[in-house]
Amino acid sequence: MKSIGIHGQPLRGIAGALSWFLFAVGIVSYFYVAHQRHIENPDERVMPTAAQMVQSFASAALNPAEDDVVGEENPSLWAKLQSSMLWKDSMATSRRFLISVLLLFPAVVLGLHMAMFPYVGAFFLRFTQFFDKIVALSLLPVLFIAFGIDELSKIMLVVIGVAPTIILDTFNLSKSVPREQIVKAATLGAGDFAITYRVVFKQIWPRVLNSIRLNLKAVMLFLFAGEMIASSDGLAYRIALLRRHMGMDTIIPYVLWVALLLFLVDLAMHTLNRKLHPWFQET
Amino acid sequence: MAPAVQLDSVCVGFAGQGGETRRVLNGIDLEIRSGEFVSVVGQTGCGKSTLLRLILGETKPEAGRVRVEGIVRSQPDRRCGYVPQKYSLFPDKTVLGNITFGLEVSESRSFWLLRSIHRQKSREIRALAMRYLEQTGLHESDAHKYPHQLSGGMQQRVAIAQALILNPPILLMDEAFSALDPLTRSGMQQLIKELWRESGTTIVFVTHNTREAVCLGTRVVALARNGVQGSSVVLDLDTKHIEFDSDEEKIQSVVERIECASQPGLVGMQARLVPTFAPDF
Repeated sequence: MKSIGIHGQPLRGIAGALSWFLFAVGIVSYFYVAHQRHIENPDERVMPTAAQMVQSFASAALNPAEDDVVGEENPSLWAKLQSSMLWKDSMATSRRFLISVLLLFPAVVLGLHMAMFPYVGAFFLRFTQFFDKIVALSLLPVLFIAFGIDELSKIMLVVIGVAPTIILDTFNLSKSVPREQIVKAATLGAGDFAITYRVVFKQIWPRVLNSIRLNLKAVMLFLFAGEMIASSDGLAYRIALLRRHMGMDTIIPYVLWVALLLFLVDLAMHTLNRKLHPWFQET
Repeated sequence: MAPAVQLDSVCVGFAGQGGETRRVLNGIDLEIRSGEFVSVVGQTGCGKSTLLRLILGETKPEAGRVRVEGIVRSQPDRRCGYVPQKYSLFPDKTVLGNITFGLEVSESRSFWLLRSIHRQKSREIRALAMRYLEQTGLHESDAHKYPHQLSGGMQQRVAIAQALILNPPILLMDEAFSALDPLTRSGMQQLIKELWRESGTTIVFVTHNTREAVCLGTRVVALARNGVQGSSVVLDLDTKHIEFDSDEEKIQSVVERIECASQPGLVGMQARLVPTFAPDF
């Protein structure tokens, strides 16, 4: 009899079917319950049907938001997409997301220097460890007072929330490079910066990218918190706005859209990491 | 001419549990002349690797002085090549990248070089690396492989080429062949002996295998522990007349003599009475 324990090796087809099983159960259960609720109450709004969601999502993707000024008459499909509510919200959130992720790179450099240069480590480590324990969302009122309710406060919230984790992660990854490698590089004539950037940084970089990938959800979480509280555009702003009107037929597609965007960013980073670092043995 | 390596009454200790210092080496005196192949043997924990790290400049002595080519050691540099047992190669670089690393690092310092000269230099570096690749028994087809695609023996061959390409006056090898299977190990022993004969580099070879130490080295330094006082040199033998193909009885008698002297309980007595043995064959 085939083992299904720790020595088990599912066939490719079975493994594929198992990996999609929970998706199928979720989708079927949702539509079954939604259907039952719609039979009981035709005006049901908590669990919209597939048709309602497709219609609302198409409307969000092709029509501008209610409060937006409509431009030319009979615009092209591309123009309609570009002026749509979904496009504008996606672009606003993506811009903030990209700036926030880019601002994490100085955190990587700091973590690397903290690990490699003991004086820099002694200066920053304790403070970073303390800062890492501060719940970033509790700082939100302070950030709004200090940086206003514009873009800066939302981006700072993301940076404050995620940067300490990235700094400490980079610090630990740099420290985990075997001492033999550093000594070896020194005996080959490498100076401090050559060891830091040409030996240690190059070795940890794929792992740092993985760490950033794993923290993308946290970035999005802080960004959504900021957008929901103080913003006039963005995906989270729209979800918060639609919640007031019980617009579940748009909220659910928006949530799935956000998940899809994050999945694509994650996939792109993963593929890029593998292409750029063929030597990297991912665990 | 200053000796290649000179240790004068060197003591090393590390902070142990409970804050007290645990002494590892106790008053080591050692002089290694240029061109010697010195094997360092001793039981696990007797401070062989610590001795090597002292010569590297990676560990600072508590007392005494370590000099390499007459200069007191402060940190690792190009005067001592290094081949550790593990992690000897940079995993993100190909075989060629690993071998040329040292030369490229020094080249990148000469930023003022014109691009065309730099390109010419790169070609020269590559050609030199290929020569060392061949010399250490590797093929041209291995040049673009990454370390994880190589066997343990091949990795150590690359590590040796990586260190030797810079022509260091001293090469330090820390249990460099310990993780290899007997067949590969034997091939590597022959290789390092040939390379030593050709280059004339001073080699300090740390091993826990007494037979390997006796057959490889022109001199064997045996360390042994003496309780809390740390290790000291208990034997310093001239073994240049012994090779792998020497008379088995002769090899065995020297091996037994070293192993007997390295017994922890006998150290205090032997180290004081006969710190240095003269060869008697």
